[in-house]
Amino acid sequence: MYRVYRYRIAWVPLLGLAGSFLLALAAPPIHAQTAREIIDRVDRLLRGESSRGRVTMEITTEHWSRSLEMEVWSLGVDHSLVRVEAPAREAGTATLKAGQEVWNYLPRVDRTIKVPPSLMMGSWMGSHFTNDDLVKESRIVDDYDFEIAFEGEREGVDVWEFVLTPHPEAPVVWGRVEEQVRKADLMPTWIRYHDDDGKLVRTMTFSGYQTMGGRLVPATMLVIPADKPDELTSLTYHKLEFDIALDESFFSLRNLRSRR
Amino acid sequence: MSRDAIWWRVAWRSLWRNRLRTLITASGLAFGFLAAVIMVGLTDGMVTELVNNGTRLIIGQAQVHADDFLPERSMHRTIGGYDGTDVEALIARMESNPNVAAVAPRVYGGGLLSSGDETQAGLLMGIDPRREPEVTTLLLNVSAGRPPVAGANEILVGAAMADQLGLELGAEVVVVAPAVDGSMGNDLFTLVGTFETGTPALDANYAILALPDLQLLMALDEERIHEVAVAFVQASETALSSASLAETLSDGPPVRVSPWTELRPELAEMIALMDGANFLIVVIIFAMAIFGVANTMLLGTFERRHEFALVRALGTTPLGVWRTVVYEGIILGLMSLLGGALITWPILVWWHNFPPDLTSLISGFSMSGSQWRPILRVEYSLMAPLVSAIALFLTSILAALYPAWKATRIPPADALADR
Repeated sequence: MYRVYRYRIAWVPLLGLAGSFLLALAAPPIHAQTAREIIDRVDRLLRGESSRGRVTMEITTEHWSRSLEMEVWSLGVDHSLVRVEAPAREAGTATLKAGQEVWNYLPRVDRTIKVPPSLMMGSWMGSHFTNDDLVKESRIVDDYDFEIAFEGEREGVDVWEFVLTPHPEAPVVWGRVEEQVRKADLMPTWIRYHDDDGKLVRTMTFSGYQTMGGRLVPATMLVIPADKPDELTSLTYHKLEFDIALDESFFSLRNLRSRR
Repeated sequence: MSRDAIWWRVAWRSLWRNRLRTLITASGLAFGFLAAVIMVGLTDGMVTELVNNGTRLIIGQAQVHADDFLPERSMHRTIGGYDGTDVEALIARMESNPNVAAVAPRVYGGGLLSSGDETQAGLLMGIDPRREPEVTTLLLNVSAGRPPVAGANEILVGAAMADQLGLELGAEVVVVAPAVDGSMGNDLFTLVGTFETGTPALDANYAILALPDLQLLMALDEERIHEVAVAFVQASETALSSASLAETLSDGPPVRVSPWTELRPELAEMIALMDGANFLIVVIIFAMAIFGVANTMLLGTFERRHEFALVRALGTTPLGVWRTVVYEGIILGLMSLLGGALITWPILVWWHNFPPDLTSLISGFSMSGSQWRPILRVEYSLMAPLVSAIALFLTSILAALYPAWKATRIPPADALADR
């Protein structure tokens, strides 16, 4: 009776994106490297990068489905700001990630709320992303050991498959992460997240590889929870710009509240 | 039949030959009866208190949910599915069941409560402030302020949670909760009160809103509720009443009626244990009595050695002698029962209405998550007097068996010759 409700509240939107696009924004093919070097390289390439994009998030669950239009800004992996533009009922709702902190702005009550640590595993707007996707991705190289589990052809495409195992002390929720990356352009194709017991929790798949803002990116990302295969969240980029004029001061609480 | 009547008369007269001894024996049995009823009543009183505190605080004696609501407690599983049900009609139908004393509809949600820089997760409970007090004592635990009123965006939170959030009465609280349409419900509420139940899980995690306000926040139509808590007329007949209520509701949307014994199985187990202890108390009291009575009866039969020998010599069968003594036991039992009932009744009524309150001496304890206050109330029950009466009756008969057998073994010639 008194058990604490499992919050499906959801925050941090695309923040998952930080991680997903981590590999997407990568450099040209590299050869004969260790897994860690590859991912570290990608990670470093990301730092200092700024971006701005427009994205549609479509969520389908057992009970409802909905679509949100959003604008997203990011600076490196530590800063991002997401603002909902449609539907009108939720326009202005915004999320700010600054370092390890996540804030939300609720236009209806005109208040900002800092997401407490206990809700980091909650999802945003009922999507299948969690806050943790965001905050933890920025330390991917610090928290995991990397290993190339497979190198060769899968369905005619030359790929690497990595296994990411968290360090024993690392504050991460996953027991094991598997990731497939295309060798030719370093584009990710899928990421599988497993819990401590090795059970698959969710799968992310990437598609719609195209050049946006001068870079090759997967324009669509799909998240499917393993325990509810009929549910999914999809993210589709419509517009993406890189290396725009943004600095850390843009990612402020004041800016979180301001409507465009 | 008339031959039998003679033995009854003989038994009756023999009993009154030594009036004092018979009265003392009967008093012993009567007080045994009194002790058994009071002891069992005290345990029942404790059980009733534990059940009341374990259920009346928030659970109710039974709960009605959509049949797929438990155990996940998903906010989407409202009674009657997505379309919900006519809540007033559902309540009216439940109240039409004669076993139902009161019902209270509820809505549950999970969310964030935020004030200033502090934000905390909480369990949101939407209640009908008018009906809730008839089913649970939750609103009696309001330690400051008052319960929320519908339509005014008012909120009542646990005292520990109010401390955590640094809330004063009248403070503004932002409540954010996922709504059933997938959106993020959010609104400002005014803190009108805090409650303190002594149960940490409640005081630190629960926030109580008026039912329509929480429905609005969670984008639930007014037809959609998660739960109806029920108080039955007979708290001790929860299982039967639940089955009867399920019958009443069987023609409506698919629901499940869960008695508290299913909702709080650990409490139910403890009570089964205490019922077992009750039985043991009765057995011990009457086992002690049985030797006292047997002793008296044995004495009585030895005194009448001559008479038994005489009636045997005049042609009475051993069975006739045996019957006299056993009938004596039966008459003694009936008299004790009557006397026992006469002394027990007023004491029971007095003890039930004016229970000794030991609150100032000892502080009570908590058992299976339920509070017990040291107030020694004796609870009325049908079982305790009935079981004690049967035990008393059996005692007096069993106690007579051995003396009766002894009486049949008296050799007439030797006894008459005083050998």
